[in-house]
Amino acid sequence: MLQVKNICKELGEFRLEDVSLEIDEGEYVVILGPTGAGKTILLETVAGIHRPDSGSVLLGGRDITRLPPRARGVGMVYQDYTLFPHLSVAKNIRFGVPYRQIPRAKCEARITELVGLLGIEHLLHRYPGTLSGGEKQRVAIARALITEPEVLLLDEPLSALDAETRGKLREELRRLHRHTHTTMVHVTHNLDEAFMLGNKMAIMNEGRIVQAGEPEEVFRRPNSRFVANFLGVNNVFRGFLTPGKGLSSFAINGLNILTTSKVPGDVHACIRPEDILLSLEPIESSARNAFRGSIVEVSNTGTLINVHVDVDGVVFATAITRRSFHDMGLEVGLSVHITFKTVDVHVF
Amino acid sequence: MDVSFRSIALTLCGLTVLLLAGALLSLVTRTTPHDLWASLRSEEIQFAIKLSLLTSLSSTALCVVVAVPTAYVLTHKRFWGRSIINVILQLPLALPPVVAGMALLVLFGATDFGRGLADLGIRFVFTTQGIILAQFFVIVPFMYRIMKTTFQGINPRYEHVAQTLGCTDFEVFRRVTMPMARNGLIAGAIIAWCRALGEFGAALMLAGATRMRTETLPTALYLNMTSGNLPLAVAAATILIGIAFVALIIFERAAGTSRVF
Repeated sequence: MLQVKNICKELGEFRLEDVSLEIDEGEYVVILGPTGAGKTILLETVAGIHRPDSGSVLLGGRDITRLPPRARGVGMVYQDYTLFPHLSVAKNIRFGVPYRQIPRAKCEARITELVGLLGIEHLLHRYPGTLSGGEKQRVAIARALITEPEVLLLDEPLSALDAETRGKLREELRRLHRHTHTTMVHVTHNLDEAFMLGNKMAIMNEGRIVQAGEPEEVFRRPNSRFVANFLGVNNVFRGFLTPGKGLSSFAINGLNILTTSKVPGDVHACIRPEDILLSLEPIESSARNAFRGSIVEVSNTGTLINVHVDVDGVVFATAITRRSFHDMGLEVGLSVHITFKTVDVHVF
Repeated sequence: MDVSFRSIALTLCGLTVLLLAGALLSLVTRTTPHDLWASLRSEEIQFAIKLSLLTSLSSTALCVVVAVPTAYVLTHKRFWGRSIINVILQLPLALPPVVAGMALLVLFGATDFGRGLADLGIRFVFTTQGIILAQFFVIVPFMYRIMKTTFQGINPRYEHVAQTLGCTDFEVFRRVTMPMARNGLIAGAIIAWCRALGEFGAALMLAGATRMRTETLPTALYLNMTSGNLPLAVAAATILIGIAFVALIIFERAAGTSRVF
């Protein structure tokens, strides 16, 4: 288990403020956050490149806060590959071998296995300057894994790649993780990577971890306006919540929404656009929130179409498929009905 | 770039090249090839060539040994006094070499420290060691600056990765930083060597200009010029021009590829 406990670190314009995170053995954790959130320093502090001003890092129960990087058992992969340009691919991959007590036969077997898993057998004699981005990153991953690190730290490993390569390598990372059971910590600002790879997600902003948990959970129940916005959750409303028997009433500019939450007072609530049902006629259902409004904006996001509906001055974003959009003949100004469940109103 | 500006720039460039090339050509064509050959084979020029090679290669080697680790430490570690050390190391760059030479002469000739060293048999005043020291003093800033820029140009992430792979600081330096700094090292050593070879002012102050004793190529040029022996002076100058030309070509190649990574 990797434990980061109350880490504080100031480094020029970047900083970490009381960062704590627990990662179980074999987990794949994705740390998400905007540029400048402190994600890279967090990884580099775990790797031992920076010594924290306060707090500690424990790996498998062992305090490694003061150990140099070489004695920690962590591997590092950067966005810009950082393959040693003066060494061939084979020599890059073997770079760390002399420092680890790995029996020769086992080491050779591991190299063959990793090189096969990553599909880079044919590149071994080449030099980094002649490789494509995807190939370079595969070599960098092999180089880090050859030393059998307890934790593999990946700093935006897919961000410099084109969309197609990124998709492929994302799959390979998932396969590698399943195959090697190495604990992985992956930093990115890409949501897809978080959902496709992570069993756990942590969101960082301004040097702090603002929310951590299972991706589905964080996505369903963002605990702050920042997280909601960052995850692209629309429909974040500020209002006043009055707890009631059973259900509570949440008032936004005079519009009352029912929710299961019991947090009283001035709070935020969010409803995911996909959780709002859009129809031309009122719908008979168990959903307790049903309103009539008019379409004020239609925007195309590629796979889905966002339809913004104004209900008494409160605008709800809904998302529907292209197909239903055309079937229903929706257009700006049309009067429609929106319906959503009380449990889908998340208050924070 | 509009046409009139470009033509002015090209004209200035052409005039400068013409002036430099003309001056150098007039110098090397001053004597006949036959006379030049004879002068080159004279005992005095032969001595100057050997002494110049010995001193410049020694001072360059010394300079590499000192400037490379210094530049590495000053780019990689933060400590108190770093910026002032940085300034001091580069001071000889702006200082007239004669002043540097005079300072060295005072230090080694007129202080207890210098006299103590001399009593131990380590003499710099009017000796070959003095020439090496004077050259070293003048060329360290060049090597230091080039190595500093080279090290600064290497993304620290390469070193971070090497550390996580198991390297100690020294192994990072040996296996990653130095190989990646190779072209900077070559360029720096060539420039330092060229400066050492041509060093005159500081060496003159510390080691003097004694014929057949502390007579390097620039000293030979100076001594023969002042005594009116033009062919020998021209021979010394021609060798220096030839070496400078070849060295610069090698330098351009090394410096031109040093940004590859």
